[in-house]
Amino acid sequence: MSRRTIGIVDYGVGNHASVWRAFHALDYRCRVSKDRDVLSECDLLVLPGVGAFPVAMSALFECGLVEYLRNQARAGKPMVGLCLGMQLLADSSLEHGFTAGLGIVPGHVVPLSPERWHIGWNSIEVVNGDELLAPSDGQSVYFNHSYVFNAPTEYQACVSRLGRLFTVGVRRGNVIGLQFHPEKSQGVGRSMLKAIVEGLCRA
Amino acid sequence: MLKKRLVGVVTIRNGWAVQSFGYRRYLPLGKPEILIENLDRWGADEILVQCIDRSVNGAGPDFDLLERIGRIGVSTPLIYVGGIRDAVDAVRSVKLGADRVAVDAILRDCPEQLVKISKELGAQALIADLPVRLEGDCLRWLDYRNRREEALSGSILNVLEPRCVSEVMLSDWSHEGSPQSFDEALVNAFPLADMPLIVFGGLSTAAQMQRLLERSQVVAAAVGNFLSYEEHAIQTFKRALKGISLRPAVYSTHGY
Repeated sequence: MSRRTIGIVDYGVGNHASVWRAFHALDYRCRVSKDRDVLSECDLLVLPGVGAFPVAMSALFECGLVEYLRNQARAGKPMVGLCLGMQLLADSSLEHGFTAGLGIVPGHVVPLSPERWHIGWNSIEVVNGDELLAPSDGQSVYFNHSYVFNAPTEYQACVSRLGRLFTVGVRRGNVIGLQFHPEKSQGVGRSMLKAIVEGLCRA
Repeated sequence: MLKKRLVGVVTIRNGWAVQSFGYRRYLPLGKPEILIENLDRWGADEILVQCIDRSVNGAGPDFDLLERIGRIGVSTPLIYVGGIRDAVDAVRSVKLGADRVAVDAILRDCPEQLVKISKELGAQALIADLPVRLEGDCLRWLDYRNRREEALSGSILNVLEPRCVSEVMLSDWSHEGSPQSFDEALVNAFPLADMPLIVFGGLSTAAQMQRLLERSQVVAAAVGNFLSYEEHAIQTFKRALKGISLRPAVYSTHGY
């Protein structure tokens, strides 16, 4: 089997260094780029992100990546959104006002209420029988966010609990979005990333 | 269920990891990267790296250190504190691998920067680091750059009230480095009752951590020196803490 190449989408917003290290530690070849030709040559695209939704969407537009990512998803390219990168997959967000998202996975990003934020380690419950996430069911992963992706039930892949259940993982075909940081969730996160990359790339 | 956290603290002065005693006496421990790598392997819930000389010298954050930490490939969430002056510094720290940043000097010097950082990164990524001690019933807030104190009230509380920050690190600076000495009355005296607190300074026993973590307002216990005296101290503490929602003690063998 040839060594898989991970394309980390560099749109100026996010924690590329941590994401790069995580995939590199799993022995994947990594390319950090906003060049569509470079990204197209990769086996799987990762959309990282830390920060505010409107700033990130503006950055994606400025890099000319919005239509590119939509087309890639439509064509079945394996894609993983992490934290803010997961939220960008949604139709829209209410963070600092209304902003349209990539619209790759149906749903809307809304403020976490009444908790305001979700920081630290929490366990996830895998739903809808997602086979790539199933080995991580019940495991604790690291969260750091204050908005949540409200997705229709059929697109939910995993949920977490803060008094009530809310969506922390979404899936539509070959696109997976994770609200937490697998790259900072120690062994659990690395195993999950490995399963996702291998599973999506085999699909 | 959201877990409470045990945070490993690495204190850095002049580029070297040190044991710190009361914010005034320091003993060298070695290369920061080694300690950080250990905490990562021992399963700390977060690692807090505090560069205590950056604000004193007006040097800005230690980006070289963050790059070096990045090269280790740490898989534990990283909090960086030290020298952050504005949103540009905070964003760059995150790009280099910090998951969250804690601010200290700018709380006094330019609190309006908190709003800017919060807008760029989100309040969840921002922590206020407050070195305090009790004098009577009054919390005194230390400016460690000139060792002057003032009452913790008025302007700083107004800055924290609008929730630009997600957590406050309540640092018992006068007891830092002394075993079993964290003044638990600091938590009672902190005026913002619904602000999540990370407690730090003089935490050395599981019993002490247990009492603090049982309080709903305390979301994390941060430990520095006392993790350096034995291997796998985090796991030992976690096993000893009973009835508190904590991530189980784990030990990483990945990459070793």
